[in-house]
Parts: sequence; structure tokens; C-alpha cells
Amino acid sequence: MLVTGGGSGMGLAMAKAFAQGGARVAVMGRSIERAEEGAAQIAALGARTHAMSCDVRSPEAVAQAFDEAEAVLGPVSLLANNAGANFPVLAENISPNAWAAVTRIAIDGTFLCSAEFARRRIARGEGGAIVNNSAQYIWTGFPGDAHSAAAKTAQATMTRKLAADWAPHGIRVNAVAAGFFPHADSVSGRRDDGIEPLQAMIPAGRTGSIWEFGWLSAMTCTPLFGDMTGQVIVQDGGESLRRSLMMPDFVPPRERVDGPWGWQ
Amino acid sequence: MGLAMTGWLAGKHIWIEGSSPAIAAACRAAGATLTSDGDLDVWVHVVAVGAAKPAHEIAHAEWRASLGAGLDRRFLGAKSFADACRARGVGGAVLFVGAPEQALGADQAAAAGALGNLTKTLGVEWARDGIRVNCILTREDGATLGNLAAYLASDYAAYVTGAVIGIALDD
Repeated sequence: MLVTGGGSGMGLAMAKAFAQGGARVAVMGRSIERAEEGAAQIAALGARTHAMSCDVRSPEAVAQAFDEAEAVLGPVSLLANNAGANFPVLAENISPNAWAAVTRIAIDGTFLCSAEFARRRIARGEGGAIVNNSAQYIWTGFPGDAHSAAAKTAQATMTRKLAADWAPHGIRVNAVAAGFFPHADSVSGRRDDGIEPLQAMIPAGRTGSIWEFGWLSAMTCTPLFGDMTGQVIVQDGGESLRRSLMMPDFVPPRERVDGPWGWQ
Repeated sequence: MGLAMTGWLAGKHIWIEGSSPAIAAACRAAGATLTSDGDLDVWVHVVAVGAAKPAHEIAHAEWRASLGAGLDRRFLGAKSFADACRARGVGGAVLFVGAPEQALGADQAAAAGALGNLTKTLGVEWARDGIRVNCILTREDGATLGNLAAYLASDYAAYVTGAVIGIALDD
């Protein structure tokens, strides 16, 4: 299998879950150093693995990375699209470059990697499975993160259409709409006061463990869920759901710079 | 691949109300005890995918029967299950299983729509009791349904609540 953005965080959690299930894991990252760090952790689990550097916004680079992964580990039959970036910023402060970085890694990258994967599976006459790392805020908008709000929703809506396009070829496509899964590299994981303020606001009373996210992501790609396709599964401890008809006073994003999802 | 969910539901007592051979088989294979008696850890309520009629041919008694099974019994059953969990001081999981909103007639459209938003609401209301509430709306009745249900019943899905999930493309 191949995981994009697999060197750390949620992508690494996905990669480890696949490795636990017996997969050989190609770890793709923008940074080869980070991909290699992740691959070393996967190798420590006893799985065959290979680290690669790739810019998922480039179709040529994606094709080369698949060539490399298949040369080392054999045909890629499972794909996890995790590559993405996110940082809180007011919409009026999102530069064209920042907008392009966040949206094209997630939207174009998911499309390009999925299409490359599918062309190879179709050419071999074999099916496969894809899982996309989406987010719980795709149904509500995400004021203060306009780039990510657009990007993560595109991943979820293309999930359904890719699943329809490739169902005749036996390629399944699903997504996990993830809630808060703090880790060392996430915005929520870097806060000085830790994750306690996040835990208090979540109905389940805690943030998620990235292992829980990894397991569900990998499960959607296994024969256990062999008839599932086109689904977007929310895994967020109830975070995205309304908890009262009464809402807290509305605070415009530009007035909550110091809030629990403020920007520095 | 020789993947199996062996032991995922070990020690759990699950009542599957209604019939789903696939869910029963998957829960048993994962180590659950299936029973309607005594202390329960999981309550699964299944309404089988039935026949559909055009709305103008549905008698009120038929409408009531659909809504009774597809909505009322589910709410009241979940409420009883959650009461029992709280009385014991333990968490639990509720899983509703039925047909997709637009798969059958207007009765199913009403019942499944209501059920989906009920799932989201109860998931939040009972979250701090450690009681999770999820829903599968699908036409499928095979092994994937069973395995998905077993996953949602298990502690591996501890962070999944208030989710309404399909299986097939048109679910």
C-alpha cells in the first residue's frame, strides 16, 4: 500500500495500521527525511517499507513515485490519501500561495494520486481500495480555516464520485471525516496548555487517538468492509454535532485570535 | 488476507433485536454473547428492508407500523437501554440498522430521516455517559454489514458516535 504524507501524524498512524494488517507500506512525503523517519517506525513493526519524496501536486512526480514504490515493494493495491496542510488564518489574510498550498495538496493531490492508482489497477485488471483523510467540519464550514474547509470537503465529495466511476473496476473509495486527533505536528498538539481545552468541548469528553483513526482508515480498505464504497464516515466523538439549540455568542473569527483555535 | 475481528467483542453481551444473520454471525465470530436477557453492553435494532408502495397507496395503519418499527420502537428501546447502562454505571453502544432514506416508500423516508437525526442527537446527549449511538442505513445484508456492525459495537469504535453510515454507492 502507499500512504501520502505518511511520515508523521495521522498519515503515519494510517501506515502503521496497514502494517499491522500485514501490508507492505510505501511512505510518501514532501520531505524525504520525515518519510524515512516514519518508515523506520513501520520497519520496527516488522513490515516491509520504503520511504519516498514526492510533491503530490505534480502528476509526473506522482507517476514516478508509484513507479518507485512498485519497483521496490510490488504493485500498489491500496492507497491512503493523507497529504495535507492546515493552519488557522483569517480568510482575508490567506495569500494566493497559501491558498494554493493547502487546496492543491489536498484536492489536486488526492485526485492525482487516486487517478494514478486507478489507472494502474485498471491496467492490471485488478481492484483495489482507497481511503481519504477528510475532516468533520466538511458539513458546517470552518470559519478561520477557509482553505482547509474547501479542501477537505472536496476530498469527501470526490470520494463519492470516484467510487462511482471506479466501481465497475472493483476499486473502492471511502473517506474518514476525522475530528480532533492531536499529535506532535498538529496545531492542536502544539498548544502550550495542551489538549485539555479541546477535550472539554467534545461530547465524548476526550480528543481522539490517532490509532483509532488509523485503524478505521485501514479497515475500510480490508476485505472485512469489502462491499463498502463511496462512504464518508465521521469519527469525531460527536464534536461536529450540535449540542444545544442555544449557541454561545457569535465571535467573529478576527476577534478570537487568542481563542482555543486562534492563530499566532 | 486472513483478517478477522477475533476477540473484538469478547465479554460483550449484545442483543440483536430484529433479524440480521450477517450481524449475528459477525458478532459471534468476534466473541460476543448474543442474548436479550440480563445486563447488555450493546443493543442492535434491525428493521429489515421491506416492500415499498407509492405514498397514496399506504394506509394509515401501514404508515404507523413502519414508523412504529423504524422510529418509535428504536427511540424507546434506546432509552431503556441507556437507562439500564446508567443504572449500572457502565457505558454501552446502540446501533440502529435499516434501509436508506430514499430506498423504499414515503414511510421509510420519514422514519429513516427521523432516525438519522435522532442518532446524532442521542449520540451527543449520552456521550458523557459513555453510551455511543450510531446508525447504518443500507440495502446490503452481507458480510460487510456484519463486520461494520461488529466494529461499531466494539471498543475500537470508541470515538465514533452520532454517525450515520451507508455501505453501497446508492445507500
